Amino acid sequence: MSAFYDHFSRHAHGEGLKAHSTHYCPGCGHGVAHCDLADAIDELGIQDRTVLISPVGCSVFAYYYFDVGNSQAAHGRAPAVALGHKLAHPEAVVICYQGDGDLASIGLAETISIAQMGLPITVIFINNAIYGMTGGQLAPTSLMGQNTTTSPGGRNATMGQPLKMAELIAQLDGPVYVERVALFDTRERVKARKAIKKAITNQLEGRGYSFIEIIAECPTHLKMTPQEAVEWVKTKMEPVFPLGVKKDLTVEPWFKRDAPVFEPEAVLGLSGAEPRREEEVRPAPTWPAHLPARDVAIKLAGSGGDGAQTAALLLTRAAIAEGYDATAIPSYGPESRGGTSYADVHIAEFEVLDPAAPEPHALIAFNAPSLAKFAATVPEGGLILYDSTVITAPGDLPENRRIIPVPFTGIAVDLGRAMVKNVVALGALQAALNLLPEGSVLATLHHVLKDKPALLPLNEAAFAAGHQAVMAAQVPV
Amino acid sequence: MSAPVRPKPFLEPMYCKGCLRCIDACPRDCITPGTEINPATGLVPVRLHLENCNGCTLCIQACPEPYGLRLETEPPGFEGDFVLEDPAKLFGEKCVPIHSEGDLPDNHIALPACEAMVLKGNYAAAIGALLAGCRHFFGYPITPSTEGAELMAKILPRLNGSFVQAVSEVAAVNMMYGTGGAGLPCMTFTSSPGFSLMLEGISYMIGAEVPGVFVNIMRAGPGLGNIAPEQSDIKLACRGLGHGNTRAIVLAPSTPQEMLDLTREAFALAFRYRNPVVILGDGFLGQMTGKVRLPATMIRPGLPAWAVWGDRAHRHNLINSIALAETDLEAHNHHLNRKYAAISACEQRVDCYRCADAEVLVIACNTPARMAKGAVEAARAQGVKAGLFRPITLWPFPIDTLAEILPGVHRIVVVEAGPGQLEDELRLALSHAGIAPPPIDYVRRCGGFLPPQAEILAGILAPEEVPA
Ligand code: SF4
Ligand code: SF4
Ligand code: SF4
Repeated sequence: MSAFYDHFSRHAHGEGLKAHSTHYCPGCGHGVAHCDLADAIDELGIQDRTVLISPVGCSVFAYYYFDVGNSQAAHGRAPAVALGHKLAHPEAVVICYQGDGDLASIGLAETISIAQMGLPITVIFINNAIYGMTGGQLAPTSLMGQNTTTSPGGRNATMGQPLKMAELIAQLDGPVYVERVALFDTRERVKARKAIKKAITNQLEGRGYSFIEIIAECPTHLKMTPQEAVEWVKTKMEPVFPLGVKKDLTVEPWFKRDAPVFEPEAVLGLSGAEPRREEEVRPAPTWPAHLPARDVAIKLAGSGGDGAQTAALLLTRAAIAEGYDATAIPSYGPESRGGTSYADVHIAEFEVLDPAAPEPHALIAFNAPSLAKFAATVPEGGLILYDSTVITAPGDLPENRRIIPVPFTGIAVDLGRAMVKNVVALGALQAALNLLPEGSVLATLHHVLKDKPALLPLNEAAFAAGHQAVMAAQVPV
Repeated sequence: MSAPVRPKPFLEPMYCKGCLRCIDACPRDCITPGTEINPATGLVPVRLHLENCNGCTLCIQACPEPYGLRLETEPPGFEGDFVLEDPAKLFGEKCVPIHSEGDLPDNHIALPACEAMVLKGNYAAAIGALLAGCRHFFGYPITPSTEGAELMAKILPRLNGSFVQAVSEVAAVNMMYGTGGAGLPCMTFTSSPGFSLMLEGISYMIGAEVPGVFVNIMRAGPGLGNIAPEQSDIKLACRGLGHGNTRAIVLAPSTPQEMLDLTREAFALAFRYRNPVVILGDGFLGQMTGKVRLPATMIRPGLPAWAVWGDRAHRHNLINSIALAETDLEAHNHHLNRKYAAISACEQRVDCYRCADAEVLVIACNTPARMAKGAVEAARAQGVKAGLFRPITLWPFPIDTLAEILPGVHRIVVVEAGPGQLEDELRLALSHAGIAPPPIDYVRRCGGFLPPQAEILAGILAPEEVPA
């Protein structure tokens, strides 16, 4: 007959009187608010759809009573939990029930951020100006001068003044409806019921977020009789927390969610996966005998705009397409924002182990600091390629390394775009290192540029020119 | 025409707490304070005098107790013209017994054969989540995990999923509590300082048995530390998931491929055990691009019977971590302990490389395990019988397999990019299993450095006196 359980079997296992009475103190505002909420759920016929989020505070056990889907949240986190439920099942009617410590103190960040998101959930905020569950401590909404166990001389300004949540929430752009109501007399109770119903209706109709603040009685910690507490709320609280509608926008229903998509094509397509290519079955190339190891490390280093990372990924892709194992790892974070950006690539016949390249077999340096920093890390017999357009004075370079200056930038500019200097460098690397089969990097270029065919000729020319520059400079490997 | 006769209130005295809120509410002075203590409650219920009552229900609206003042729905001799507009609405919903329809099973959908992908570890984990049926992401940006979130932000809206950048990690984990509690797969990407902030919520999730997947791309600490890789949260994930009796399966991938595979697997584990699962990657792994093959199937998730979904079939469900009575909470902990024991027995995973005849056993996980494998190879080339024991589950630690290998092992070398948290796990596992280990050495770097292969090799070759 109502949205309350017939039998409160979760309250002390439903034994004895507890099966039909609440854990609230006599005269507690929570009880009245519960009945209002239960009636609203009942009148709107949404009992099956409702998910109620119980907070931490005296109403932590709201789930004892409401015969709806129930979730009990950590202190202050009820709005986050509510959002999780609403996004999981948009048809659910999610009601977030919270007290003042929960909503206006420890959960302030969640309260405000989720109100501002404006998704249609309904927040019922019980403001009784004191902490009930923990035994009468100062609440964010306690009145100035109010004596509590943690404001024994009365609340003063340095403890913070009472937070007026309804006004604060109404200021935000997210919510559509904010009202403060009370329970102290019939008139106000009627308004409270109407407000709760409207706040839920806004959710049902997909109009948006609603927030109802209910100023309520905690006779126990006010150390008053229920009648005195009612009077106190009316005469002392109400002037600080004026009742009324704080915001009520006319908003057309907007919230609608389509069912999540589980079509393999969509998931794979968005993930960037590609169907297996038929002509794929190519015999794996043989690992070049001239290389010192079955795992070759290459470091590409330059400044942010040099395209070292892109080149590293191209190389990695090309190697993987050949059936080798390969990895690329960037320098990242502030380091990559500061000017030097480098990437370590490994290409291995079978398996890349250490993905870092503290001693790279080959170094491609796009600027002087990179060359200065990494040249000495290349072991004897290693390869150093550097951009001789940019690095005009390479300084002392280590001996017994193959050092090949190539004007990456100069060549790229001649071709019309400085940007392709990284592809020039890859062409140079191909000629100097001869690790991957001829055409491997070009095939990868074709593949990654398949949606931008106009860029292909330029990149092909850049690769060829880099290759040519090394061939002309010396006999490769 | 006579005025409609409306039902009047009635009161079971034992459900009245004597607060007197109803008295002022009655415009006809039908209610007066009681004078006698009710023996069942020790409280003094009010008394009703309903001669003048017109059934306005204002007293009922003032009464805080659900079973306090109520309307007598069928008063004796009641023959009024009061018509219920929709009995199903007023009575029917509750009278229909709720039949749980049981778990709605996951649906495995075959995937077409795809080319191997070339993916950054963080992206691989995100795609693993998508293939596991995850359509809900909650997180807060933090380096070096952010690419995972960014990919989700791009893809999820186009799959009608939800991507939420929360106000903090604290909010994000509680959104997961909500979506996980509704029975759907959800996840986050985070990194060490963010993971610290999520621990409170993880404790609640474990207490309430809510599934969810946490990908923690660990960075160097303590405090703000830096954004370089460190295996800094093994302690948190294995021993410190917030307050109370908490455990979660902790998976440690070491390649982009495993980032995908283990993330996908993590969802299945999270739902099988109704528990969060933590994936610990390191900053290197998150940033590393490598070859990744896609699995043969993807999942359209079902809905577990326990979900708080917001429909009739699931209306009686509760997601909750509070148990007031000591007996209840102890019983709940026993239930959790049984679950942890089942996980310990069934979910130990490890990758053993050349362990069968190993005399020096290197133990490492994540990216350092790759360097360690190289060092093991190098040591073998020098005639030293080295092997690599790479735990894939850090909790439960794969102690059963280790116990089989240890008899032939003369020395253990634990390799870590971190302050020794893996070694602590190892020692705890050995101690719990009552195994006296051979000497345990270590090769460690921290602050963002990974132990290079050469250092590990030196550690393997260290001329330690091995006791007979
Ligand atoms: S302590 Fe206050 S808020 Fe809590 S149940 Fe008692 S009267 Fe209500
Ligand atoms: S129903 Fe109206 S008239 Fe009757 S007792 Fe209640 S408040 Fe008084
Ligand atoms: S309001 Fe309810 S609990 Fe309070 S005295 Fe009246 S009947 Fe009793």
